Amino acid sequence: MLALYEEKRVNLVRLFTARLRSRAEAEDLVQELYFKVAAVEGDTAGSGGGSALLHRMAENLMLDRLRSRQRGQARDEHWRRLQGGEATIDGDQAADAPSAESVVEGRQRLAAMLKTLETLPPSVARAFRLHKLEGLSHAETAAAMGVSRSAVEKYVSAALKAVFRGAA
Amino acid sequence: MDEAVAWLVRLQGETVTTDDWLAFDAWLTAAPEHGEAYDAIAAEDEALKALATLEPGAVVTPLRRPASRRAVLWTGGAALAAAFVAGAVLLPNLTRDPAGTVYSTGVGERRTVALEDGSRIDLAPGSRMTVRFTRGERHVDLGDAQAFFDVAKDSSRPFVIAAGDTRVRVVGTRFDVRRRDGQVAVGVERGLVEVSTQGAKTYRLPPGRGLTHVEGAKSAKLADLVPGEAAAWRDGRLIYRDRPLTEVAGDLNRLFGKPVHIVGGKAADMRLSGVLIVDSQDAMVSRLAKLLPLEVATVDDAVELRAR
Repeated sequence: MLALYEEKRVNLVRLFTARLRSRAEAEDLVQELYFKVAAVEGDTAGSGGGSALLHRMAENLMLDRLRSRQRGQARDEHWRRLQGGEATIDGDQAADAPSAESVVEGRQRLAAMLKTLETLPPSVARAFRLHKLEGLSHAETAAAMGVSRSAVEKYVSAALKAVFRGAA
Repeated sequence: MDEAVAWLVRLQGETVTTDDWLAFDAWLTAAPEHGEAYDAIAAEDEALKALATLEPGAVVTPLRRPASRRAVLWTGGAALAAAFVAGAVLLPNLTRDPAGTVYSTGVGERRTVALEDGSRIDLAPGSRMTVRFTRGERHVDLGDAQAFFDVAKDSSRPFVIAAGDTRVRVVGTRFDVRRRDGQVAVGVERGLVEVSTQGAKTYRLPPGRGLTHVEGAKSAKLADLVPGEAAAWRDGRLIYRDRPLTEVAGDLNRLFGKPVHIVGGKAADMRLSGVLIVDSQDAMVSRLAKLLPLEVATVDDAVELRAR
């Protein structure tokens, strides 16, 4: 199973880069998966469907992390409330804030992107806004627009292509 | 590029099945250019995420922003979590016998167990417990283990945990019990927990209180906990208050396969007060060596810690 893990590692990172929208987090998750795989190495030697099992373990790990992140956020919130409602900016939080230049550059890119969106069919642009900018899920976007999920996927794909071509 | 975009979008849907993964893996394996195109698209998409968080209100025309969005996401998360928990119960290394169900975790492995009464137990790496439910009592026998309990309320059927000579009795609450190297520690997050040790009196612990007891001793020590401390290990933080280095090494050895040895009496006598974030073994050991005057050496696939 460890050999299979090594073989599939890069592709698993790719999968979870999409899921988490962060390559760094995906790398981290797949790294943690290594320890899980090493832990069950003895039990499952020779059992079939290794690639499918690897994927399920990784998905479970991701859900675990999402849950602990939610707990972490709740805890942070609680802590802030204890501090009298004022957000305490510690070193880490300060480091997360983008620099002034990157904010300016980002605004320019965002403006260019919104311009590209205006050239697209309205439903394509709307799906993109709801999913990518407002952060709704595929299902929520589908519900908001009154279309099917596969239609949402098509619209978002079309918009992404246009936006990425504009950026290139 | 079109295929790469289609894959990215598909993988960002709510459900990604094992079949999706197998098909995605096959597509990537078919041609190296596929992976390269995909990586480029994924990087662009990640950059997009940063843009979207820039200043949502100012740039994006204020579309209907559903107030219930958080709730929707939370419900979705809870459903997924429940699915995951249900899956955990069916995992292989569990044996069923009339004396109860045994749950165990290996090195580096963590596991959430959902019980029939709605209670949940998070097992830390390298732990073992037996769960037995009868009509009048919900019973958990802790071996060498650390576990966080979220007990469903049922006043007709108390939840009792046996950890060596210590009994922990609750009706419904959240708390952590650790039984390692002849010592039992209980930390309470919510509710009221009754702890009795053989020969010592019975303690009632409110939230934010913790108790430590050496098995066989006639006394127990009480302490105040910082918020979140009882459940800290579940969020990847190990909190130590004047604990021996041997205990820290034991925790590391339950997290990682590469053994950590303490060499020399001087190092073995050291005690740690501090927090260790759980990430990689190398990083944790090097941080430990900053908190205490330790020297780290890697010998024959083992890590040796000795006094500087």
